Parts: sequence; C-alpha cells; structure tokens
Amino acid sequence: MKILIVAMYHPELVRGGSQQMAHELFQGLKDVPDVEPVLLCSADYNSPAMFKNGARITGFDQRDNEFLFLSHDYDYNWHKMPLPLQAEAFAEFLKRISPDVVHFHHFMAYGIDYLTLTRKTLPDVRIVFTAHEFMAICAADGHMLRKADGSLCEQASQVRCHQCQPHLSPEEYFLREQWMKAHLQVVDLFTVPSRFMIEFYTRWGLAAEKFVHVPNGLQMPKLPVQAEAPARRNRFGFFGQMVDVKGLHVLLEAVNLLRAEGFEDFAVEINGENIQFATPARRKEIEEFLAEEAARPPAERRVSFNGGYPHGQLGARMARVDWVVVPSIWWEIFCLVISEAWHFGRPVIASNKGGPAERVTHGKDGLLFELGDARALAETMRRAATEEGLWEKLAGGITPPEPRAAMVQRYLAAYEKAGLAAA
Amino acid sequence: MDESTTGRVKKAPPAPLPEFDEETYLRLNPDVLVAVAEGKFRSAREHYEHYGRAEGRLAMAPRDLPRDKIIITARPGSTGEAPHAPLGAVDAIKLSSAGGLFVTGWVNDSLDRLDSVELYVAGWSVAFSATGLARVRRPDADKVAGLLTPHALGFWGFIYAGQRLPSGKCNVVMRLKSGAQLILILNIELQDDLELRDNVLNHLASAQYPGPAYFNAVSSIGRAIGTQLVDFSQMLTRKAVSTPYIERFHRSGRVPKASVIVCLYGKPNYLALQQALFSGQAGAQDYEFIYVCNSPALAEILLKEAAIAQLAYGLDITLILLGTNAGFAAANNLGAAHARSNRLVFMNPDVFPKEPDFACRHLAQIEEFSAARTDIFGAALYYTDGSLMHTGMYFETDTIPGFVLGQKEDETILRAEHYGKGAPPEDAALLRPRFVPAVSGAFISMSRGWFEELEGFSQDYIFGHYEDADLCLRSLEAGRPAWLADLRLYHLEGKSSPRQLVHEGASAVNRWLFTHSWMEPVKAALLGPAPAHPALAEAMP
Repeated sequence: MKILIVAMYHPELVRGGSQQMAHELFQGLKDVPDVEPVLLCSADYNSPAMFKNGARITGFDQRDNEFLFLSHDYDYNWHKMPLPLQAEAFAEFLKRISPDVVHFHHFMAYGIDYLTLTRKTLPDVRIVFTAHEFMAICAADGHMLRKADGSLCEQASQVRCHQCQPHLSPEEYFLREQWMKAHLQVVDLFTVPSRFMIEFYTRWGLAAEKFVHVPNGLQMPKLPVQAEAPARRNRFGFFGQMVDVKGLHVLLEAVNLLRAEGFEDFAVEINGENIQFATPARRKEIEEFLAEEAARPPAERRVSFNGGYPHGQLGARMARVDWVVVPSIWWEIFCLVISEAWHFGRPVIASNKGGPAERVTHGKDGLLFELGDARALAETMRRAATEEGLWEKLAGGITPPEPRAAMVQRYLAAYEKAGLAAA
Repeated sequence: MDESTTGRVKKAPPAPLPEFDEETYLRLNPDVLVAVAEGKFRSAREHYEHYGRAEGRLAMAPRDLPRDKIIITARPGSTGEAPHAPLGAVDAIKLSSAGGLFVTGWVNDSLDRLDSVELYVAGWSVAFSATGLARVRRPDADKVAGLLTPHALGFWGFIYAGQRLPSGKCNVVMRLKSGAQLILILNIELQDDLELRDNVLNHLASAQYPGPAYFNAVSSIGRAIGTQLVDFSQMLTRKAVSTPYIERFHRSGRVPKASVIVCLYGKPNYLALQQALFSGQAGAQDYEFIYVCNSPALAEILLKEAAIAQLAYGLDITLILLGTNAGFAAANNLGAAHARSNRLVFMNPDVFPKEPDFACRHLAQIEEFSAARTDIFGAALYYTDGSLMHTGMYFETDTIPGFVLGQKEDETILRAEHYGKGAPPEDAALLRPRFVPAVSGAFISMSRGWFEELEGFSQDYIFGHYEDADLCLRSLEAGRPAWLADLRLYHLEGKSSPRQLVHEGASAVNRWLFTHSWMEPVKAALLGPAPAHPALAEAMP
C-alpha cells in the first residue's frame, strides 16, 4: 500500500504539532512491511532557501520519499492558492506517486480545494484528513477562541464569527462554511487526536460516522537514569511555544499571587521559544516579567527561563522538574507535552478544557484547574508543592502514552475503514 | 435705475411746471439725485421736463401724506431697475474625446432667474437652457452672494455631442431672465471619456440637492441630462464589448443543456466559490459557466482561478474579459452571445444553490413545463441568515411635493419592491409558484429564443440596476410575464461587488430612466403587490 502523507511544513523547517505527527507517522509507516509512505510537506516564506527557480515541488535534503511543496501567495482568508501551475504540479505529483491513500494532515499552505483536486485527479484514491485543530470551522486561526473577550467558543455561526473578526461580513462567514464543507465532502474518513473534537465537527454538520479517534503517538527518547528522588516536589516546568494560547502568562500571574501570599517555596522553569509569534502586548508582559525576575538576587528568583530545546534535551529538562504545567487558554487539542511529561513520569497540572481535560484525570494522574484562572492555578501549585504524598500518588497513576507504533497501527486501520467508506 | 436716468432714451420736453421745487423733486426721486450728481442732467427740473412728467413722477410732496400706507409716485414699471450683471462663477468645463461636455458652476439668480448658460468656443457653441440644468446647493456661493437663507445657486449640466470637438478658450455667458449677463473666459479641460462619465456620475451622486437628496438627484436629470448621459454611456458600453478577450476552459465534446452567465465586477473570489458549490451538485456537468468580467484589474487572477477551477471541478468555463466596465446588461448580453445552449441562466456571482438538487430541478422545470412558465422565470432568493430575501418584484411610486424640491410640480418616481423581504423561510403564500411583475436579475432563467426576441437586456441602463425589471416588463408587455418557479437559492445581495459613489450616480440615472420608460404602463395596471394586469392572472396557462 502506498500512502502519501500531506503535511503543513516539514518539522525540521518549522516546528509544530501537526507536522511533527505527520512526520512521526511517515517514519513509523516505514517500518511496516508492504507499506510505502511518501511525505509531502509545504515550505513557504519561512524557508526561502528551499525555493528553486521554476520548481513547484522538490525533494528534501537527500531524503528518500520526502518532498517539499513550495507554497506562496497563499490566500489565508479563503484557504486557497491562486496558482494554476502549482495546482497542476500537485495533480501531476499525485499521478506520478499514484498512492492508494492520500492522508492530509492539514490544508493550510495548499488550499482546502486541494482535497477536491485530489479527488478529481485520483477518483478512486482513499482520502483521509486528520484535523489537528478547528481550522475548517474557525477563521480565527482554528482556535475556537473568541477574540473579543478570550472566551472559548463552542459553536461557529456567521454572526458569531463576524463578531470575532468583523472585517468579514456574516455572509462571507456563511460562504466560508459552505466553501469548506464543499471540499471536505470528498474526504472518506476524518481522524482526530482527541475525542471531544468529534462533537465539534459533527455539531458543525459533518457526519459522526466518518470520524475516528487516533491519539497522537510519539517515538520517545530513552528514559534518563533515575536520579535520587528529591525531598520536595515543588519544581514546576512549562514546555512549549510561548504564544498567547499556551497561557504562559497565567502561570506567571500564579507565581505573582503565590509571592503575594508569602509562599515562596517553589521553582518554575520555562522551556520554550517562538515568543515572536505572541501578540505584542503578551510578549511585552512576559519579557518584562522575566527581566524583573532575572534582576532579583539569586535567592529570591523563583522563575528561570531556559529557552528552547532540541528533542534530545527533553529528558534532561524534564529531570529538572517535578510537575509539568499546561496552562493553555484554548481547547489545546491533544497536547504532546502531556505525553512527554507522562513518558518521563511527571504528573501534569493542566487547564480543565479540551484535550488536557480529556486526557488528565483529576486526582488520578494529574490535577486540573479552571482554564485561564491564575488564582486557581496558584492554589493548585501550592497544594502540589506542599501536600504530602500527592506527587507519588499521581505519578503512580500515570498510564504511559501510546507509542508511535500503536498510532501507526491505528492509522492503518483507519485507512482500511476509509477504503470501505470509499467503496 | 430707469431708462430715463441712464440717458439712453430721448423724449420731447413737456411744458414747465411753475411750482416745481428742485429740492423736493430730488428727495422724492433718489435715482435722479444720482444722475444729476453724475452730470447726466444739469438739474432736477431738466430731468422732470424731459422724462419725469411723462413717467408720472411726483414733483411736489403731497401736503397731507397718508400715514401707514405706501404712496405710488410713478407708474408701475417705469422706474424698474436696469439689469445688473449677476455674481457667479464657472468651476469647470470638461470635454471628453468623444464629445461629452460637462459644465459646473454657480450664479446668484435668487431674484433674477437664470435663463441659459452659453458656451462659445472656436468652431462650436452650445446654450444650456436653465431648465435642463441640475440646480444644487452651494453654501459657499450663498456666502459670497450674502444670502442669509439657503438657495440652489449651483448648477451643472451635461451634453453629448457624439463627435470630437475642438477645445481651447471658452467664452461663457450666464444669461438671466432680465437680460443681465455675466461673461467669463475659461480654458476647457480635456478628459478621458470614462473619466468624464465617472466624474459626472460622481457629481450627480455627491452634489447637495435641496430637499431629499436622492429624489432630487433623480429629478434633476429628467429634463435634459438623463437622456444625454444614457446616450454617452451607450457609446462607452458599445466600445467596451467590442473587443473582449475570451478564453475557454472546456472539455471537448461536451454539449451543455444550460449556460450560466455571470457578470463579475470587483471581486474575483466568487468564481472559485461558485464553481466549488455548484460542481458538487448532481447534474452540474450539464451546465456551462460563462463569466464576463467588467473589472480589467481582475483579468490575471480570474485566468488563474478559471484554470484551477477546471482542474479541480471540471465544469466548462468560458471567461470573457473586458477592458472597461460595460455594465451588467451589456456583459450579460455578451455572455449570452457566447452561450452554447438554448437555456440562458443569468446569475449573480454571489448566488448559490440552497438545495442540493438545484441543478437537476432547474433543468426538470424546463422539461416539464410549458413555454409560458419557462421562457422567463426566477427563483425564491434567501438571505444567508435563513430568511427569505424575496420571491419576485412589484412596483410602487414615491411622490414628493414640488415645493420640497424647489419646483412647481410634484415629482413621482417608480420604485421596485420585493415580495417577502425577510419573511420566514417556508411561507407558503410567498413561495407559491406564480406569475409576478418581475424577478431579480440575481437569477433569471430564460429560453434563448425568447431572450433574443426581446433583444436582451437594455443597455441604456448604466452599470446596473433596473435592467432586470425592464426586461421582465418588456417580456410581460409582449405576453410572457415572469414566472416564480419552485427553486431556491442563496443570494448575498450587494456583497459581490464593491459599491462606489459612481454607482450611486448611475443608480439615480437608471431610476430616472426606468420611471421615464415605465411610469405609464405601471400606473395603468402594474402598481402595488397585487396588480390587475391581465397577464398576471392566476389561471395556469
């Protein structure tokens, strides 16, 4: 079976969850007998050196079966690319590869209409689409997070979307929905990494029977040699992108509250990058906090900023903390950081919505707090740092995340199901 | 000052008046006082003897002057003031290469009404009659003229010569009813034809009219300007459609059953959206799409969009690109001329099927029903909020009293109204298939033969508006009223093209033209939501 995986970005060019999972799947499928995976990742203005004169699709760094789709002039409003030569190149590529399954992990940088183009080019191919967020439903970056007040959105509608981003009229949001659905109808099977997403998509109008839950599985680094258990479990870690929706500011506000209460027996380590993608106001707030923290005498510092980390350093970074905090202020679809924390035996303290709420069982393998509520997080952190035996209990309750190989098997089953659906 | 004090008229001297008092005569006749002071007469007596007596002027103050009562001291008219040159200015005279001529300015004719504005140029001249000029408010002119209450001192006019005219210096004479005149010399500005049309339409839409602005804009062009503008615009339309660029994205051997003709303007995205939403329907392959684009700036992106659409959706597309905006009517007529089927479907770019089987049901209508129902029919149009947009059009009138407009006669203009605007989506009475006075150009399905017999959309209408109602009324007059079919579509009214001031101007011209063309037949039997016209009778054909 030949499987073409279509991803937004190559994870080695631009980091991100959907491309990481597409790549994990590609790598995992290589180990399956009689399966030939091909990976097509988009590259855009973020990777100008990848562009070659006259080329629309090229190879990638001498890798077998890894290709780059050189995307430009993308229309983020309607999610399409007005370049017929690019569309022709994609269609030609499909014919040349001639896959049995085309598995889209995103449509951004290609265009949602590339789903229809795929069906038109290869009428009998199985088309599988993995939704890594709500981009088809939500024009506000697919986050389902209302821009006016930061509240979580559970239902898109032409008026609600217009309120969120008023530069488009309600009619245009109506059309956007029709446009998206017109193309999504060619998909044989959808997969989502978290179950709660199925409800969102079916409420939006897609058929529930077309959805399959496939949790993300990572190929994890080996566990580091266990150091001697510390006397206290009062070290908290943040891992991930420093963008607004990841809620780092909620964690920093919780630190302020703990300090104001006179509780200082804790440490927070921040491991993250890409603050340049945060909004200017949030970036300023975080940078000012970190600068003030760095200016304190060493004995008074409670927060340290370690910067980004290559995957190989993850174990070392995890070893320096007891708890991993996931303070995301959006639905946080799956949260690979939870898998990473669990892999290293770290209980998670997470916002109580979306993927984290689905995965973390409060009091069994972690703690949940009210999303966006810094006071609730502060209280949870204080409890975590002080309650005797809590860490051990929760760490003992962790079920190790499914490995990559399990995910690959689930996807292979999904491809079979897609074949039945197509038939 | 009367003619006697100008010294221009000589008359025989009357007999002297023994009791004549020089000082009293000058006090009673201040114009004589001035004339004597200027040396035109040696004395008051000289004036009296030569003119005053004949004019019936008092030479002596009455001894017992009645109190609180005006005393007439000369025969009426004999002391009327000589005409004064009025205050005024010409702001611009613009001439286009094809002979469109636009003039705008102001004149203080608040007391002595304007009679004409005459232009004299080497090789040609023209006299705009004051009644044919549009009159507008000019607060700046009111101020210069020292008027305390607002007047419509501004004027503008347009005429189309139909031929190239030499430009250069222009002698402008603003002539008042009294004969007084203001003479100015100006340079004529040369302007491109399209720019001049835009200029005039912008001016029409933006000028300050006394009273209700839009109504007066429509009314102001009725006497002369409207006809001239329509002629001028027709010439531009003919030029616009004379050299189209046509590219076909077809699969060989396919014979469409229906040709969807879509006029694009300003927004390129609708091609892809319409193709995506239509192509998913069963039966879509029986249709071809003809996109006629009135925005030359969109040419490149539309060529790309059409190429992608052919790859992704596979429907036959003909793309017709125009170098200038030919307007809705001409673009659709041109599209119809390139259609390959006998069924023409005029559809706005922001119209989309509401029903998943629309494509099949539309064709089924044509096969199932007689020509009376299918030669021309429309559909129920819906807002995207779920409510009805309308199920056909009817006509009403708007009347404004003449005094509101600063004119003698009341003014009445026609208005197109819609059945069921914003009504619940399943209102059976509104959705009932029936004959209606007109259907919206957003969706009109016509047999090609009938469309050609009616000679298509009237290209008199500038850019767009009312040509759909005009087509339906011509069809009705010819014995085929429009049928409202049991079909449903979404229409994002007004979202398909950007609306500019120039379109407001064109809309005013079109409303005038529609009123001018259809007022009498509409008043006779087509007024209101339930008109009595026999062609609209309920009996099925």
